[in-house]
Amino acid sequence: MLLEQIINGITLGSIYAIVALGFTLVFGVLGIINMAHGEIFMIGAFIGVLITSVLGLPLWIAFIAAIGVTVILGYMLERIALRPLRGKQGVSHLAPLISTIGVSILLENLSHHIFGAGNHPFRHSFAQIQFQIGSITVYLVQILIFVISITLMVVLSYWLSKTKAGKALRATAENLETASLLGVNTKRTITTTVILASALGGIAGILVGMAFNSVNPQMGLSMGLKGLAIIILGGMGNVKGAMAGGLLLGLAETMIVAYGDSGYRDAVAFITIIFILLLRPQGIFGKNTAEAGR
Amino acid sequence: MLGDIINPYHLQIVSFILINIILGISIYITLSSGQLSLGNAGFMGIGAYTSALLTINFDLPIFLGIILGAVVAGVFGILIGIPALRLSGVYLAIATLGFGEVIRVIFVNWDSITQGSIGLSGIPHLGRELFKTFKLTGFDPDMLGLKNNQFIYLLVVLILLLVNILLVWFFIRQNKSRVGRAFAAIKMDEKAAESMGINITYYKVLSFTQGAILAGFAGALYAHVMAYISPADFAYHRAIDILIFSIFGGSELIWGAIFGATFMTILPEALRFISDYRYMIYGVILIAMMAFRPQGIIDVSLLKWFKRKLKLKRRGSLGIGTKKYN
Repeated sequence: MLLEQIINGITLGSIYAIVALGFTLVFGVLGIINMAHGEIFMIGAFIGVLITSVLGLPLWIAFIAAIGVTVILGYMLERIALRPLRGKQGVSHLAPLISTIGVSILLENLSHHIFGAGNHPFRHSFAQIQFQIGSITVYLVQILIFVISITLMVVLSYWLSKTKAGKALRATAENLETASLLGVNTKRTITTTVILASALGGIAGILVGMAFNSVNPQMGLSMGLKGLAIIILGGMGNVKGAMAGGLLLGLAETMIVAYGDSGYRDAVAFITIIFILLLRPQGIFGKNTAEAGR
Repeated sequence: MLGDIINPYHLQIVSFILINIILGISIYITLSSGQLSLGNAGFMGIGAYTSALLTINFDLPIFLGIILGAVVAGVFGILIGIPALRLSGVYLAIATLGFGEVIRVIFVNWDSITQGSIGLSGIPHLGRELFKTFKLTGFDPDMLGLKNNQFIYLLVVLILLLVNILLVWFFIRQNKSRVGRAFAAIKMDEKAAESMGINITYYKVLSFTQGAILAGFAGALYAHVMAYISPADFAYHRAIDILIFSIFGGSELIWGAIFGATFMTILPEALRFISDYRYMIYGVILIAMMAFRPQGIIDVSLLKWFKRKLKLKRRGSLGIGTKKYN
């Protein structure tokens, strides 16, 4: 029983981690909280439903389609909502926050309009495959989710630390002006970051659809808020922190549902961030700087 | 005469506008010291539930309930405001957003008192209770040529209008006082303000608490105007709505919050004929606003231009003006 709960927690946590990775990449490079990330995630999930349940195509096409659509969304987000604000005189640092809130309202209501308010099941025979190991049941989907998220993480850390594009991204995150003086094409790097983050959101969307078998227009909001909680927990802009924070939150929520009061499941994330922000504003894995929390 | 003009539906919208103006001011006042709070929906919920529960369960008079609602929200404001001093910018925004969500989850789950997500109904209605008192003194709305219904809504609007005028007057006064200047100094540069001898801790907590009290006050009024509240009324969407009032209208001036609240309340009603799309339009407006006019519709220079225009006009009508400069 406990082992099964831990597996459920890790599955949930891996998805949270992928969502949080998208948040943390954008925050790390642009210093912006992308409030539309949850909605991009939701669109990814809907594309998954559309491809597998409605059109009846195989799963890998769903992945490609979801990534494609979210990449386009990410590019549009960058061009329409973020780029016009960058480098403009007299723009408060809250302006990008608000314009991404605008995008999130737009996307949520758009999908509400197109797909309706109800739950959409993710019908796929793949979701039913299960193994019996001793007394516990493991679904193939759970293993798949875990493997995908670990792979993404490894690839992402490698890409960030070893490749030229990854180094350019980290340089931009460190200091945009200096990076551009040193010959980094910061415009392109920023666009790449937002697109990458959106694609991660799209992948997470399909994984959620498979794991929980329900997709609705409101799921973006709650997932977005939890993603925020996780990056605070793990330290803003910190890739490893996002991963660990995601797993931690997933486990904590699963344990609350299993052994506590399931009604308070959604409060766990926020009670945690309030305490984290007050006790250790730089996050569990963040570096201790005087500017933390400022 | 009066009875033909007054439409309860329009009065209802006006009372929403007036409540939203209080909410807009509540976020304006925290923003005026450079703090972004997304927890005002939570404070609003605290005020609403406090007042509603007190009046339902203990038969407290509505006015006492509303004041207590604001006070309790203010106490929470102090409790959150002091530890939140360590945070600023997006961190403060997220922490207060988290606070709002925790409050909502508590409202949903504390079934025995708040009735969970079903919500509280049968909250005494501000207008109806007042109407009863008026009735006791032998007053009849027929004397003004009004129906009971029209009179009730008119009463609510008048009370809210009075409250609004008092609040706006108070905060304009405050802005010109020592407190307002301290807020502005802190917003500009915290360290410089501190070195000028401004007690940052005191003024930041003061502005945060003022925001919380106002939000709680507006929430209590909301409860007694709607006569029904549920946790969904005080969720994330409400926090965003409140933020938009100030950001859209202009966060530098109190008039911005007032204009934003008015415009953003009328807009969805005016767009009702395309109601399926109105929130999408809402989103587009936000994006466009940030791209083209991030300081909000009303800013200092617009107000100055407007005042100059007004002055010129007055001069012209008095027979002085352009000729004088020739």
